[in-house]
This record gives sequence, structure tokens and C-alpha cells, in this order.
Amino acid sequence: MALDATPDLIDQIKAAGQGNRKLLIQGHSSKRGWLASSRGDDVLDLTSHQGVLQYQPEELVITARAGTPLALIEETLADCGQMLASEPPCLGANTSGAGTLGGAVASGLSGPGRPWLGAIRDAVLGVELINGAGEYLRFGGQVMKNVAGYDVSRLQAGAWGCLGVMSVISLRVQPLAEQEWTLSGAMAADAAIDLCADLGRRNLPINGNCWYQGVLYLRLSGNASGVAAACESLSASGLSRTDETPDLWRQLKNHEHLFFHRGAAPKDDSNAEPSVGSRAKLWRVITPPAAPLPSFLNAPETDLLTLWNGGLRWLYHDQDDAVRAYSHAVGGWCWALGEVMPMEAAQRRVIEHLMAAFDSSGVFANPLGLAPKAVSLSGGVS
Amino acid sequence: MQVMFRQPWLRHNGGMNSPREPNIDSGHWAPEQSAPHQAVLQRLRALLPAASVITDTSGLRPYETDGLTAIREMPWVVVLPETEAQVAEVVRCCAEHGVPVIARGAGTGLSGGARPHARGVVLGLSKMSAIEKIDTENRVAVVQPGVRNLAISQAAQQYGLYYAPDPSSQIACSIGGNVAENAGGVHCLKYGLTVNNVFGARVVLADGSIVELGGTLYDNPGPDLLALLCGSEGMLGIVTQVTVALLPTPETKAVLLAGFAKVVDAGSAVAQIIGAGIIPAGMEMMDKLAVQAAEAFAKAGYPLDAEAILIIELDGSAAELGALTDKVTGLLKANGAYQIDEAHDASTQARLWKGRKSAFPAVGRLSPDYLCMDGTIPRKALPSVLTEIDTISQAFGLAVANVFHAADGNLHPLVLFDANEPGQTDKAMAMGAKILEACVAAGGTITGEHGVGVEKLDTMCVQFTSAELEQFFRLKTAMDPQGLLNPGKGIPTLTRCGELGGMHVHNGRLPFPELERF
Repeated sequence: MALDATPDLIDQIKAAGQGNRKLLIQGHSSKRGWLASSRGDDVLDLTSHQGVLQYQPEELVITARAGTPLALIEETLADCGQMLASEPPCLGANTSGAGTLGGAVASGLSGPGRPWLGAIRDAVLGVELINGAGEYLRFGGQVMKNVAGYDVSRLQAGAWGCLGVMSVISLRVQPLAEQEWTLSGAMAADAAIDLCADLGRRNLPINGNCWYQGVLYLRLSGNASGVAAACESLSASGLSRTDETPDLWRQLKNHEHLFFHRGAAPKDDSNAEPSVGSRAKLWRVITPPAAPLPSFLNAPETDLLTLWNGGLRWLYHDQDDAVRAYSHAVGGWCWALGEVMPMEAAQRRVIEHLMAAFDSSGVFANPLGLAPKAVSLSGGVS
Repeated sequence: MQVMFRQPWLRHNGGMNSPREPNIDSGHWAPEQSAPHQAVLQRLRALLPAASVITDTSGLRPYETDGLTAIREMPWVVVLPETEAQVAEVVRCCAEHGVPVIARGAGTGLSGGARPHARGVVLGLSKMSAIEKIDTENRVAVVQPGVRNLAISQAAQQYGLYYAPDPSSQIACSIGGNVAENAGGVHCLKYGLTVNNVFGARVVLADGSIVELGGTLYDNPGPDLLALLCGSEGMLGIVTQVTVALLPTPETKAVLLAGFAKVVDAGSAVAQIIGAGIIPAGMEMMDKLAVQAAEAFAKAGYPLDAEAILIIELDGSAAELGALTDKVTGLLKANGAYQIDEAHDASTQARLWKGRKSAFPAVGRLSPDYLCMDGTIPRKALPSVLTEIDTISQAFGLAVANVFHAADGNLHPLVLFDANEPGQTDKAMAMGAKILEACVAAGGTITGEHGVGVEKLDTMCVQFTSAELEQFFRLKTAMDPQGLLNPGKGIPTLTRCGELGGMHVHNGRLPFPELERF
């Protein structure tokens, strides 16, 4: 199903601008629970704007319309032995789907391989963008090296649509590895993080790790001889090959892992019970990978899951102040899922000025809690 | 039109300046005397040590140009701050008085991005050259903007780590300049560009305020401002601290040299290697003229009868490299490579690389002058673009040697000419513009890694519509309302594009017919 809804999208944006109405850009709404709800007068539905426009495996680039289901992109790539380098999550498949390409880029979320394979912002090579005035603009392209003009394409990663609606996106893709093995070993979380830091300085074909419930899981990915040799050398670190968790990395990528669903539905499995009441929020804490672990967790064994060498720490906790103070103290930041994403004041100011540059009348509703602010010639906010 | 580029060591005796760019002869040089300028100068002198505020002609002279030596302009003042607070104060003071600020790293840029402004302050960051931290636990280095690219890897070497992006100027170029130009190198396909290897930056904005972007972090909230900053040529902010990724030094390397009787075979070998799921650390192609020049210059052992050669670098653990090398060698043979040399020791590897690395000066010996283009094309378009370059070359009567980062599609055609022959310079520039147009038509871009600066302002008109250029200007104004950070670079005005008649037309449609044309 390849459909170009560009003319409709432009018409709706222009009409909204004239009618002073706010548009909520919407794909599959698969991330609805992630950010505080944002209000729009009307929905700008991207789901019919889909289709893979260009894909040649040896070019390592895929170009598709923003409403293309992420699952379809993944399938298309897998058929040719490739994958999206950043492993963007397909979240909670609902009736409409498990996420679109546009949503994946707009949210800027990356999967378990981020430190090794890059974030989705690294994979973005070009976007075709419709700004708040309904102008259709092309930035970047399909080539890796491109320094012509400002990098408006990568700027869209994490913008949640606040700078316009992406119509077509080109992403760099990655070959699937010949061999992928999962290793595991029992150890405490701090030992796991120390070990990950140590392994990161060695030539090992690692492209994922996760600590949960007293076990470090390591993903080895590469050619057969390299993976086998690495596996052998890692036995000295207490890690050995496991076949018990064949689906672990996909579950982590798509947030289907048990850890993320403990409050959602009652489970018989006592291990999955949250240690604190349902008041405990799920926090996404980004820290320097080797930063010390939080000491305030009620039950670290079940309330903590780390990824990215320790640089992403998912945790359940009911004391907001404790999580925020900790994140700040180690030089990171935190975000309680379902709430507004925090942002430094200086950065917020720049982004609000940029919003005025792309969407001066504020046609696009955005879930970041930001509003366009024009700059005056003296540099201040008018 | 393409303004001439020339490596500093190839400076032509006759000297040459672009006819359309202002040039200030030292004899007529008079410093700016306006009241705002005098007020700024007073503040600068109070802020910085006397030796760090340069106003005399001989002191200013080294700053009049960057790696694009054909374009020169004497700056009004050069300041050399040593701290972020001083940088911020210089910018704030200039903003208050409406004086332009041109940030400058090592001045090795190839597109004139650091060309001074006659009424502006050059803010040289060379004194901010401290490596603040090598963090081995998190594998990052926190460095000041004036730190040389190679110095980071040298400092990290004792921990078995290095900084991956390696632009050809890495001995001299600074990390601040790398961020400003989003510098590349020969290992980009596997290890990425500057933007992919920078985790954080502290930035002085146009009003002198400071914003911290990212950190030792794999993820940040909101639109990716750090990515926007990379490649923005000092027009959106001035970097005062950079946090870069460090990687473990590869355990082993293999370098392969393959000779082909047909360019098209070399191209299909490249496609098949990547199609087979192999991401080489580096993969370079040179055509016959470039090979012959490089071989005469460097004695690298390249096959002189080859129409094209590939130089492929593979790296990784010893365990994986054997199988990888065999696979690549097999694909090279299958695609008609008639000579394959494998190098596993450092000295042979260095010899094979030497020819490629000296390709520019080697070509310089073939011809009094040359013009280096920096287009990028989809890899699949290589045979057709090379054919087109050949056609263009014959039509203009000037030879072209092609050096190609085959892994990432970045093509550097070198147009050979003699500036002393009347009309040849214009001819070469016109021909260069045609080549870049061919790159854009093939789905590529006018600049892969050298930046727009002042050199490619005109060809920007070929790649972008007026609506896109206007969006760039609105973005710029949002971050620099007075337009004082590196004015006149990066993005051409609509007037300029209109006058050139080079307005971008997509699919035969004139874009945005409602807009005014100049």
C-alpha cells in the first residue's frame, strides 16, 4: 500500500494556519502513554501516508514515507539481511499498529544497541519536511556525507513534531550480523557496570548488554569466528552462552520485557511483582554509563534494569525528588514516563526560537510543552 | 560557480584571487574606526592580555585566510581568549555593538569558512587547547575547542583508545573546527562523521549566553541541537568544550589493494562487498590518472595499467579478521580484480596508503593548478557520474583525476588547469560547477565534508529551493537575530541565487512560483 498524502497534508496545515487551529501530528499513537498528552484541535493523521520509496541494500539507505509502519520497514530490511541501525522500538502494538517511521524519528528513541550501532539521530540522512506554513522542504539526502546547509534532518530526531511534520525520511541501515549469541552471568549490578566498562575498552563484537535481576546479559554480534572467539574469552569474566532468552533483545527493544509491564496486568509470577505499590513511577534515567548506581532503590534486584553499558537505567521509584537529585548529581537526566520531558532552560529557549522559525503561528501541537517564541532583533524574546 | 581551491603547498607563482571576492591590499589597510568598533576594542583590551588582542598588520596577516588560500581578507581585530568566560564576554560585547564575530580553529578548512570579516573580530580558539579529561570508564574525552584532532588519539593511546574521525588535516585541525564543519575522513562508513562521535558540547550563543548540549550521555531530550550545531560553520554558536567518543584501538588491520581493468568492475566490487554485509573501515577508489600521479610520487606499488584501483582497510579482532579478509578477497576476484595485494604488517599497509594519501600533491605535480571538488553521490551512481565527468572533461578540454571515498560515496574530482593560460581558470571553475550539478542530479550533494563556507555559496543554489534557503535563514535568525556570527557564509542569499540564474528546479517544476525572483 503506497500512498502519497502530501497534498492533503499541506492543505490541512494551511487550513489550520488560516483557521488558527492546532494540529496534533499522529501516527499509530503507539507512544501515547510516554509523554504528557498534548492537545490539538484536529488530528493530522499520517498513517495513510506510507510506502517505501527507495531501497537498495548495497546503498545502505532506505527512504520511506513517514507513515510507513516501522514493522514493515523492519521486515523489508530483514528480507535483505539488514536492519535499522538504531533499533527503534515498536511499542505496544495497538489497533492501529506498533509505530510509524515518522514516530520513530520524531521521538528519537533508540534500542538496546545504541552505544554500538548509534542512535536514530545518527541514522538520519535526510528528511522532507512540511513546515507550519505548509511549505514542502527537502533537507539532507540519501548520502552519508553531506554538509550542505544546516542539518535540519537530524534536528527532527527528538523534536516530537515541534518543528514540522516529516513527510519522507531516509535512514542509514546496517547489515545483520552473520552470528548473534547471547551470553549471561550472575553478578551484582555494580559489578556488571564495571565489567561493561572494562569490556568496552577491548576489541569485542559486543552490541548490547542488559542487567536485570542479578544477571548480566551480553549480546555478541559479528562473523562466526569473531563471535566464537569472544565467547570463549568471556568465560574468564563469568559469562557463558545461553539459549534461555532467545527473545530478550527484541523484548527489550520493543518494551515487551516483563520489567516494563509489571503494573499493567496482574501476573502470577511473584518475581514480577513490583516491590512498591502502584505509585512507583517508571523512570527513564540517562547517566554517564559508569556512574554509580542509585542507593535509594527499595529493591534493586527488581526495580532496576540497565542497558547501554549502564548509560540507560530504567527504574521504578515513588520518590520523584530522589530520582531527580540522583540524576542531576551524576551528570544525567531523568524522565518519568507519561510526564513532560524535562529540559534545561537555556536549551528550551533555543528550541522555542527554532519553533518560531519553522512554525511561527504554532500550528503544530507538541508534547514537549513548548511554544514558539519569536526573537527580537536585539536578541531577546519579543 | 566554483571558486578555486588550492592546497597551501601548491600555491601558484602567479597568485590568484577570485575576482568577485574583496581583497585587501596591505598598503591600503585601514583599521575600522567607527564608535562601536572603538567601544568594542576598549572592552577587548580590558578583558584580555595585550598579546591576545591583535590589531597590527603583521600580527593580523596569518589570519587573513584559511585552507582556501585563494580567498583572503584582513580581519579588523583578532582575539585569542583562554577561557569560556572570555569567549562569552567577547561575543556579548560584539553583540551589544553589532560587530561580527568569526570563530576560527586551526584555519585548515577548505571552503573559506573561517575567512575573516573586514569589520569583524576573529575569535581564535587556539589558546583553548587543553585536554580536560580522558575518561576511560565512560570512554570519552572532554576537550577544549583548540585541541588538535590527532592530539586526542595521542592522549588516549596509553589506554588503548582513540578518536575515530580522521580528516586528512588531522595533524593540524582542531576539534572545534571539526565540529563546525562536521569533518569526515576515510573511515566514515564504519565509524561515522564528527556528528556521530560527539556526545556533548558547551556552546556560546550569539548573545553571549552559554548552553550545554548533551554530555557523557547516549541520549538527550528534545530536538537534536547538537546535531544542528555540527556542520553549522560557526554561524549558530561557538563551541567552548567538546565531549567526544573514544573507541578501543582495533586489534588488527588488513589493507588490500586491488587493480581493475574497468572502472565499472571496481564499482560493482564496492557494491557487492557492502551488499554482502561487510562494512570495511575504509574503501578508497582512484582512477587511472590519479593512480599514475600517485605512483610516480609515492612509489606505493600501484598497478600503472589499472583503469581503477581499490584500497580497502579491514579491522577488528584477530579472530574475525581472517574470515573477513578471505571473503573480501573472493568478492574482488569475482568482480574482475586482476591484481590483489594483501598487507598485514604496518609498513606495507603504510606504503599502500601512502599513494592514496599523497594523491593531491601528486596530482599537483601533473599540473600547475587544480581544483578539488567535494561532491557526494550514491555509490550506485559512480560509473554513470564518472562517465559524465569524462564527457564534461572532454567538452571543456581539461583533464580530471578522480579520487573517491568509495565506502561513503564522497567523490573528489581534481580538475587540472593552468592559471597562467588565459581563460583556463574560468573554464575550470565552470567545469567544476558542472561536475557538482551532475552529483546533485545523481541524488547526491555539492559538499560531502569540506563545507560550504564561501567557496560553494553559488552551488548551494543548485541544491536548494528558495523556500529551503529561506527556512535556513529563519533558523539562523532564530539563533543569531543580528546575523553577527560568521556572516556571509554557508547559505547564499536569494538575491545571489537569482542573479546566478541557478535556481533549483525540481522535476521540471519551478518551485514556489508565488515567490519573488531576482
